[in-house]
Amino acid sequence: MDLIFFKIAIVLYLGASLGYLLFLLLSSDTRARLGLWFAVAGFVCHSLSILHRAIFSGFFPLATPFDALSFFAWIIVLLFLIMYYRDPSPIFGSIGVPLALVLMLFGSTLSYQINEPIVPVLKSWWLPIHVLLALAGNGIFSIVAIGGLMYILQERLIKTKQIGRMHKLLPSLNTLDTINRHGLLLGFFLLTLGIISGALWAGSVWGFYWSWDPKETWSLITWFAYAAMVHLRIALGWRGKKAAVLAIAGFALVMFTFVGVSALIGGHHAFGPEAFRIRTRGL
Amino acid sequence: MSILVIGLNHDTAPVEIREKVTFPGDSEGHSTRFFSGLDGVEEVMILSTCNRAEVFVVADDAEARKEMIVQGIGQVHGIDPEPLRDFLYIKTEAEAVRHVFRVASSLDSMVIGEPQILGQVKESFRRAAKVNATGPILNRLLHRSFFSAKRVRTETEIGSAAVSVAYVAVELARKILGELVDKAVLLIGAGEMAELAARHLIAQVTRPIVVVNRTFENACSLAGDLRGLALRMEKLEDGLIDADVAITSTGSCEPIITKDRMNRVMRKRRYRPIFIIDIAIPRDVEPQVNDIDGVYLYNIDDLQAVVSENLGERKQEALKGERIVEEEVGKFMNWKSSLSCTPTIIALRDKLETIRTGELTRMNGKLSRLSPAEREIVELISKSIINKVAHDPILFLKKAGGRTRKSFYLDTAQRMFGLDANQLEQHHHTEESPIEEEIDDRYQG
Repeated sequence: MDLIFFKIAIVLYLGASLGYLLFLLLSSDTRARLGLWFAVAGFVCHSLSILHRAIFSGFFPLATPFDALSFFAWIIVLLFLIMYYRDPSPIFGSIGVPLALVLMLFGSTLSYQINEPIVPVLKSWWLPIHVLLALAGNGIFSIVAIGGLMYILQERLIKTKQIGRMHKLLPSLNTLDTINRHGLLLGFFLLTLGIISGALWAGSVWGFYWSWDPKETWSLITWFAYAAMVHLRIALGWRGKKAAVLAIAGFALVMFTFVGVSALIGGHHAFGPEAFRIRTRGL
Repeated sequence: MSILVIGLNHDTAPVEIREKVTFPGDSEGHSTRFFSGLDGVEEVMILSTCNRAEVFVVADDAEARKEMIVQGIGQVHGIDPEPLRDFLYIKTEAEAVRHVFRVASSLDSMVIGEPQILGQVKESFRRAAKVNATGPILNRLLHRSFFSAKRVRTETEIGSAAVSVAYVAVELARKILGELVDKAVLLIGAGEMAELAARHLIAQVTRPIVVVNRTFENACSLAGDLRGLALRMEKLEDGLIDADVAITSTGSCEPIITKDRMNRVMRKRRYRPIFIIDIAIPRDVEPQVNDIDGVYLYNIDDLQAVVSENLGERKQEALKGERIVEEEVGKFMNWKSSLSCTPTIIALRDKLETIRTGELTRMNGKLSRLSPAEREIVELISKSIINKVAHDPILFLKKAGGRTRKSFYLDTAQRMFGLDANQLEQHHHTEESPIEEEIDDRYQG
């Protein structure tokens, strides 16, 4: 019962994904509209689920891997709904909702039990600020990467003169390049703020801002990569296919930093009280 | 009462025949009135476009009146109808209904899914209604055909894919450049097809088109026509640097846009995408230009290939359209068969009986205080009231069977007593078309 809203949201996202799948197969707009309604209903339930977890844990619900993934999926759906509002093409939902669904299904296999009282470090207002900024940045980078994939596909179809259903489903090259430009700048801005807020949080609890924790190191590498991309795009006028390829490469780095580092290397960004205990003992 | 359609179209008749059968003077309703005046003909409508000419008739007996209509078509045009016979199709009842629905839904058009035909059918119907040539059956038939057409258009993608070179060019431009409003169009050389494509593009943009030609005077005069600017051939590269879409169609034997030249242009454009449409034969643009980053080159064959693919797609969608039409034909034929005396009388009796028993049940609480004998009396009174109310209308309907314009009386009776099962749907549909009210007014007059 404790994950009831989460489960309902999964079912609704599943319905939405099916609707979008039918839309992709039949290019039927009614199916796409069905998908959208399911997605909106799923998003509402998902929001309730996060609220429920917040009440349950007594604070911003980010203390377990389950909650973090759920929250990330929530941000992705939110971003896709915002995108849909800007440009009502069902193709964005067709990718965003199944992506969120996969993240949630993955999240549901992870632990969501809060066995011990939450470490005091996590009961700071810096937690939601830092995590929100970092996850929103990641969410935007994932959209930019998906836009990049679509750009490469669409540009290939146009160059090779394959003007079929796929071509018609995909947005125009101009739209996709605009997503890249805006997304890159906004994502970079959020990533910068995310790193700064993390440093300030660390400073406020441990007294030093930067400790070369693996996550911090990789975040910094990611930051430099995106800084270079912003420079290529703005100063050197890179656009189109080159920008799309960069967006995809950048996202691989983001994903490694987000998921890979904690899983493979560890550090105080890893979940569970141990990571924090070691850190606090060290102090 | 039966429906009859006689006519010819692009499939059955060559243009030499089609241009002979045009129902001249029908904009004033002359031909329509002529057919209206024929024996046994109750309702008439004429549909004449450049691809078809047909007469829709409601007559007492379609089989018997066929010949008369064929002769009439000859008479209206002052020609011998005999040579026409091989080109005419004659359809009755469900087949005729199906034909009208298919025509209005653009399933019978030369270019399947083209949108003009529905407007032409509507206009022809308005014209026939104006000279009082239509009645309840044609009114219903045509409104149902508009409804079918709308369903086919919204439930299938019959009209969505572009089927002319010019439209395909515009759609591709959109897929590359996004909104076209603020884009710059460059026209190199002249030629009918190039000019047509340019005109379609100009309709989408606000910036003036730039015209380049080997002879500057020609460029000026074409630019004047298209409300654009002229540019000398020597300045072609500057034109290419500014343009978002370039259409080229010169008579040059050598390519005028080579890969080297375009590479130079693209560097100066900072690789801003450009869509080049090469309509010239022989080519104006080296095919390798398409390999340059940001350049999208299409020649006339490429565009033609897209057109034929889209046409194939429309044919697929047309199959879905046929299913919708079949459904609507079924509904219409149901209505039509109800439009005779016995079903109408039965429907009227049923309706009154439903009202009677309904009211008695509603009052059951109060009636239960009465004794069984008293209740029997109430029952009898109610029965005798509805019988008396029904008596005159039923007598009238029975007599109507023998009258001309029988369908009019039956239709009126059905509307008056609300006996029509499809009425609700019909009503929704007519909200969009004021024709129905016009015709209702006419009935009252």
